Amino acid sequence: MDQLFDFSLFNSMLRMIAPILLAALGGAICARVGIFNVGLEGLMLTGAFTAIVGNHLFHNVWLAVLFAAVCSGLMSLILAYLTISLNANMIVVGVALNFLATGLTTYCLFAIFHVKGSYYDPNMTGLPKWNIPQISGDSFLGILTGHSPLVYLAFVLAFALQFFFFRTVRGFRMLAAGEHPAAARSLGIKIDRIRYAAVLASGVLCGLAGAQLSLGQVTQFTENMTAGRGFIALVAVMLGQNNPLGVTLSSLLFGLMEAISIRLQGFSLPTQFTMMVPYIVTLAAMSFFKDRAYLQQSGRIEGR
Amino acid sequence: MRLMQLITRSLREWIHPLAALLLGLAAGAVAILAVGGSVAETYAEMWKGAFGSFYYAMNTLARATPIMLIGLGVALAFRAGFFNLGAEGQLLLGALAAAVTALYLPAPPEMRMIAALAAGIVAGGAWSLFAGWLDLRFRMNLLITTLLLNYIAVYLASYFVSFPLKDTSGSAAINQTNMLDRAVWLPKLFKGMSVHAGFIIAAAAAVVLFLFLRHTIAGYHLRMHGSNPLFAIYGGVRRGRLMMAAMLASGGFAGLAGAVEVLGTQYRYIDNALTAPGYAWSGIMAALLAGSHPLGTAAAAILLAALQTGGMGVERNTEVPLEIASVIQAAIILFISARFTYAFFKRRKARSSDGPAV
Repeated sequence: MDQLFDFSLFNSMLRMIAPILLAALGGAICARVGIFNVGLEGLMLTGAFTAIVGNHLFHNVWLAVLFAAVCSGLMSLILAYLTISLNANMIVVGVALNFLATGLTTYCLFAIFHVKGSYYDPNMTGLPKWNIPQISGDSFLGILTGHSPLVYLAFVLAFALQFFFFRTVRGFRMLAAGEHPAAARSLGIKIDRIRYAAVLASGVLCGLAGAQLSLGQVTQFTENMTAGRGFIALVAVMLGQNNPLGVTLSSLLFGLMEAISIRLQGFSLPTQFTMMVPYIVTLAAMSFFKDRAYLQQSGRIEGR
Repeated sequence: MRLMQLITRSLREWIHPLAALLLGLAAGAVAILAVGGSVAETYAEMWKGAFGSFYYAMNTLARATPIMLIGLGVALAFRAGFFNLGAEGQLLLGALAAAVTALYLPAPPEMRMIAALAAGIVAGGAWSLFAGWLDLRFRMNLLITTLLLNYIAVYLASYFVSFPLKDTSGSAAINQTNMLDRAVWLPKLFKGMSVHAGFIIAAAAAVVLFLFLRHTIAGYHLRMHGSNPLFAIYGGVRRGRLMMAAMLASGGFAGLAGAVEVLGTQYRYIDNALTAPGYAWSGIMAALLAGSHPLGTAAAAILLAALQTGGMGVERNTEVPLEIASVIQAAIILFISARFTYAFFKRRKARSSDGPAV
């Protein structure tokens, strides 16, 4: 057991969940205004790729991160336009967006870098690692130090969002727009504008998540490198009940299970069951929460 | 006069998918130009890769087979008003169950083949039914449970094929079951071609589903619930029973898709061999593309398969990468989603009398 749980396990856990957490916060913002964003995966992949492109273009890692956020944000506007302005089914659009991102990134990988599979440039610098000087690497708190800035940003954002949603007027309006659009509209809240902002925010956050993925750990882009993390983020949103801090906790659960699985692999034990745990927990947790919109739609409780 | 009406009606049904297809190809043309390829040459290669020779055409149909079956299952659930996103898990468990039955059932080969197909249907159906039961018992959103159950199925199947059922005779690098006995393989339709009897099954299933939805009372109830659940419940349709039946059948189709893929193409269950080509999501796209019409779904499945095999042809013979196919597919779906606008809007006003729910 000592070998299974040591500090480096938790340290790698924090690093691994940062992309999931960033994307999940984006998903939570969307869910709060009534948009089920299935496109997180594609947006994250777009971010991962454009971060590398940005780094290649500007030779500056910060501009690269900014570029990734802008590109993913633009991509998310497709989703926003189709679902909000054209009233298209958000699941359909999300699924299509994922396909588009997979296709476009691989396609552009070839068009821009003339390689297939993955792109790696040894001259490219990744995100720096920030050490917190007060904390030494050996103590338990050592798990908190030596991460890329985006990892810290992810956790700060989680708290900031929690504050924003439940302690500010603007946040409250956002919640109202999702909770009861008709009532919110009658108060003069501009629902569509809020929804656009939410989708755009999720795009930007997914862009950061992708940048952490391609610049934070390995400084390379591999075809389809998000590998389902966007969907994990989506599940984390459900488990966290669209609550920024709840989403943080559920992301931590996913990260912990993934880190344990990697350890188990070292002992050549089956990892499938540990990988399965978060999904089973989510499934079990879902049974306690009622999905009002879903029940209304199927006529099992009185509608609005 | 009736003929005229029929023609204009079918024209109206077809015009939207066709327009989306053309726009998708136009988007693809932009992408081709962006890498400096020739549009005409690339599309010519794509056509050749998909239908250029009898061999390639049969190859396309073989690839379309699982997509068609999955698409039909998804279309059935959509028509009934249930969002089944769990095709992937149902496909995998169906494939695994078929492989295990074909390997270990002590019975003559013909029996084993039939039993394996049945096992695939049962396994896929049961997995889907479980999601339905969660809705009934715990009121959990089907969309979410089906999505979550995918992951559990992926890991479950991966465990079985990596540990208890793993083929230890060959290379240890690949997690796969033992090779099936040649006698239980689904027969090929033409010698030396990849298309197998599974395609006939899929085509027949499309016709049966079409007739079922159009000409039976149960099919009518199903469509009614899909168009307007509140009206259907008011009219005496029992939601729970309808949902369980629809989910069972929907998962059964996906399970059957896995079974024919194992018995007809791969001859063993290989970890990741069914998830990597994205069959499940392609099947869902086929159903969406056709507005959940069974025959349309079959046609859309062939179209998507043709784009994929055509993409491979493009990659073989030009500088343009294979992913041009995904770009075109995604563009088509994005353009087609504008039609859902219309159906969705109508549904919100609860005035819809026809058309798919989603």
